[in-house]
Amino acid sequence: MDKTKEFIEAMGDKIYKKIEKKGRLYFEVDNENLHTVVEYLFHKMGCRLSTATAMEMYHGIEVLYHFSHDESGQYFCPRMVMTDLKNPKMKSITPIIKGAEWIEREMCEFWGIEFEGHPRPERLLSREHPQQLDKPLRFRRNS
Amino acid sequence: MNKNTIPVGPFHPLLEEAEYFNLVVDGETVVDIDIDIGWMHRGHEFISEQKTFTQSIYLVERICGICSTSHPLACVHAIEDVDNTEIPLRARYIRTLIGELERIHSHLLWLGLAGHFIGYDTLWMWSWKYREPVLQMFELISGNRNHYNMLRVGGVSRDVDPEKIPGLTDVLDMLDKKLIMIAKAANDDPVLRSRLKGVGVLTHKDALDYCAVGPTSRASGVPADVRKSEDIDAYSLVDFDVIVLENGDVYDKLIVRVLEMLESTKICRQCLEKLKKVKGPILNNVKNISAGEGIGRYEAPRGEVFHYVRTDGTNRPIRHKVRAPSYVNIPTYAASCVGLPIADVLITTASVDPCYCCTERSLKVVNKNKQPYQIDLLKLSREKTERIRRETYGG
Repeated sequence: MDKTKEFIEAMGDKIYKKIEKKGRLYFEVDNENLHTVVEYLFHKMGCRLSTATAMEMYHGIEVLYHFSHDESGQYFCPRMVMTDLKNPKMKSITPIIKGAEWIEREMCEFWGIEFEGHPRPERLLSREHPQQLDKPLRFRRNS
Repeated sequence: MNKNTIPVGPFHPLLEEAEYFNLVVDGETVVDIDIDIGWMHRGHEFISEQKTFTQSIYLVERICGICSTSHPLACVHAIEDVDNTEIPLRARYIRTLIGELERIHSHLLWLGLAGHFIGYDTLWMWSWKYREPVLQMFELISGNRNHYNMLRVGGVSRDVDPEKIPGLTDVLDMLDKKLIMIAKAANDDPVLRSRLKGVGVLTHKDALDYCAVGPTSRASGVPADVRKSEDIDAYSLVDFDVIVLENGDVYDKLIVRVLEMLESTKICRQCLEKLKKVKGPILNNVKNISAGEGIGRYEAPRGEVFHYVRTDGTNRPIRHKVRAPSYVNIPTYAASCVGLPIADVLITTASVDPCYCCTERSLKVVNKNKQPYQIDLLKLSREKTERIRRETYGG
């Protein structure tokens, strides 16, 4: 069975706004379903987290994950949108995927996103910086 | 248990770049490692979003001094992905040729450094001696030994002159012989085996958990290779094997790289043969990039390099994310270095072929007035000296 179809059937209404493009599945997911989706992708399907990208968009802060299914070459891209710009919060996926630790710490440092349940919520790149830095470093609105 | 900490870095004779590791040791054994990155403030992602797409390619070429084709290749793949731009066949072969030559010279550089780290300077001198002809091949093809400036959105900027192909093939023949010699030396050498076998093991499970890439993961039995899993450049048109070993120790990482170089010469030879026959344009003239998003990947010598580009229809990206392979490979130290004697830590950290300037490509610190922070290092140093004096002598 095609991996994309299998995933869509297993997730049901937990994912929405699905777009398929060149072997990639882009979809949105809510904070409460994020762990279910990530656990399925990582443990059940054996996907690898390539990276996650935070962006400041008109509608809010967007976090786009890229999961690579190396056997088939397919990509699964969950998207999380946070509209609360003053206090952006979402679940950390580091308890599921150790490799997400640095990625989430960097996003927290740059975009001010609080990752709930992160085992080590410290700055990644400016920990030893001699000056008190404004936080978040790359968030343009309200700065 | 009496635990002490040993700082390694940020400036250390065996680290070519600034990086800081705090080793927590119990006697001779490392029980924990704290990795502190962020010593180079480069701001590539931020600067790229102020540049046009063509300028971004020049910029990302300078993220890394060694893989100066991998980043621009992933970047052009991402930009081309937005509009599904067609790449001329000849350009695909040229891109593959350049990418594989870069893999050979990067692996030879690493091999030399690894030899030097463990006191095996013969291996260092051999490797760097045979790296030189590869750099000369680059000079012959592009005019530069590094930062070749070969890539454009839609193809490549320079063609490979057919008259140069026999000379390039001769260098590959010589390299093959020497690489086989190095492979045999590495395989037969009892000192090398006893020094590296079983040292710094990254288990299969840890490689998966940390999402490791490249030779680091392939030495641990994870067969991930973008060249096979995605249809990029001319890799689907050439014959090559993905080298996968099982033990995950430093020795296997060395062997994976040596065997990969032999696969790379095989790919280069096939590309040169095809370039004799395949004629046609090398650049598809791309005028506009529409609004959308694209991802670009390439199997750099250190592993998968990943670029994400979001566009709005103008001539510059509104978001450009770069994920270098070292960024996911360096955290594996937490799994591979713990439990080792102190003396084995440096070769274990070196075994992932870390590139710290790739890892720290993103940070650019600006204050509220949009000016870079100005730090008076002399003033900071005097303040610190004064603080230490007060703490030591009082007053």
